[in-house]
Amino acid sequence: MRTDSELIAESLNQSTGFGQLYERHAKTIHRYAARRVGATEADDVMSETFLIAYQRRANFSLESESALPWLYGIATNLLHKHRRLEAAAWKTLAATHEPAVAPDVAQAIGSRLDAQIAVATLASAICRMPARDRDALLLYAWGDLDYEGVAEALGIPIGTVRSRLNRARRVLRAANDRNPLPEEEVHDGRVDSASQGA
Amino acid sequence: MDELTLLRKVRDDVEEPTSDALDAGSNALQQWMVSHPSARKTRTHRARRVAGWTVLGTVAAIGIVVALVATNILGLAGWRGGASAAAADTLGDAALAAVNNSDPTVGPGQYLRVATDAVDSVTTDGSRPGSFVGYLTEETSQVYVPANLRDNWVWFQEAAKPYKTFGAESAAAAAKNYRNILSGPEHGVEKLRAPGGRFYSAPPTVSPAALATLPRDPYQLLNYIYRVNGTSGSSPDQEALVYIADTLRSGLVPAGLRAAMYRAAAMIPGVSVIASEATLDGRTGVAIGRTEPSDHLRQEIIIDPSTGLLIGERMVTLVAQSGLPAGTALEWTAVTTSVVDSAPAGGTQNGAFDVEGCTKIPHGFHCPQG
Repeated sequence: MRTDSELIAESLNQSTGFGQLYERHAKTIHRYAARRVGATEADDVMSETFLIAYQRRANFSLESESALPWLYGIATNLLHKHRRLEAAAWKTLAATHEPAVAPDVAQAIGSRLDAQIAVATLASAICRMPARDRDALLLYAWGDLDYEGVAEALGIPIGTVRSRLNRARRVLRAANDRNPLPEEEVHDGRVDSASQGA
Repeated sequence: MDELTLLRKVRDDVEEPTSDALDAGSNALQQWMVSHPSARKTRTHRARRVAGWTVLGTVAAIGIVVALVATNILGLAGWRGGASAAAADTLGDAALAAVNNSDPTVGPGQYLRVATDAVDSVTTDGSRPGSFVGYLTEETSQVYVPANLRDNWVWFQEAAKPYKTFGAESAAAAAKNYRNILSGPEHGVEKLRAPGGRFYSAPPTVSPAALATLPRDPYQLLNYIYRVNGTSGSSPDQEALVYIADTLRSGLVPAGLRAAMYRAAAMIPGVSVIASEATLDGRTGVAIGRTEPSDHLRQEIIIDPSTGLLIGERMVTLVAQSGLPAGTALEWTAVTTSVVDSAPAGGTQNGAFDVEGCTKIPHGFHCPQG
């Protein structure tokens, strides 16, 4: 399979390449946007992300094989237009009686009520967080990017990513300390190792 | 469960985009790509070949091209009919005149100056979701080609300014775009200077050296064009005329090859006289063109049959599209060539890229984000 950067290089002087990039990543960008602002707005964000990406394709660093961090970065900027909507979504999550996690997750936390309190605490903290910390956090947690990917997406040095993520996680932990989660481990190698390194 | 693990589970069940939403996004992208084959034209050579396959009707001819290229036995030229009789006559006259009116000589230290006045269409998003707003911009440029082709070539391009708008929203979009361009680091004129015409660190798309290698026999030339075009463009015949227009508009085509190009155009099926008196940029000639049914675009070349000179070329849309009304010339270029004793000073090899502080990487430039 050809890499993203090969497709983009081809699209620089031919009419092909970019359509495949859309096929490959549209759903992923949609999912990230939908988690932040809901499925309806996510349709627009997905479409606009690729239009902008096409217009700026000459700026894509062909050294990066995957275009996902770059696309996430464009989508993240577009999501800023929907900041109020996103804030409302987090507030709703903080106030709702629905835990917004799958039943097995709720069970792992303890009970449906425990899960609801845990998610509400988290949502309330994320809602109050500075936008730049929230962007870094959500690209890391939902975009599944590593530090380098977040740095590329946001166009910031990797050290800045580290400090933003550390700060975001401190805020979440502090909120959690006020409403502690039951200590039942769900093992996740990536998160565990990242938390040790943070 | 730590807070990051929990966060990763939150809203994990969001719906996938519907197939309608995926199609809408894909269509918007395709439409943009077709109307903007070269999105940052200051970043690349003016590659304005119209892109995109639109219709099934072209598939048969494409199949022929692919088969012929694969077998390398027979060309497409000459056995499927040709231009209308009137168009063939005009092109024949122009070819004769081109040969009889020899090109001006560029002496040592002198330059061939190619001045172009080009109009292009721009399409942007309208205020309503899914709507498009179109307008036309005009851009003048001068290329100075040295007598010794290895010396510095100079290329000055003025910023594209609004040329024609279609309604209030279109006018506002055009004005906003122009303000953005003028506020940019290029200050409205991009200046390039590069040995051998290697602007943007790439070889010139049309160069005298490459033109010298093209066949002078019209039949062989047309077959060559079909072959190098391959399956690009909306149909092999349309793309052949587009190739001829693109090449002629460089202003670098010597008289003998220009004559062969006119005769080659006379062998393309569907080519006819569009207007016996067509005015482009104040000069009048005969418009010879071909309409592509699959995308409703008409490619024209405007020539002066009495001198064999190319006045310019244009691409007209016969239907309303991308925010532009039917009958609009989506792009046109008028070309004037002359021999001059000097070229202006200033300019760097990568023009705006150098001004913006970009670095050259394989296949492109890496620019600071902003």
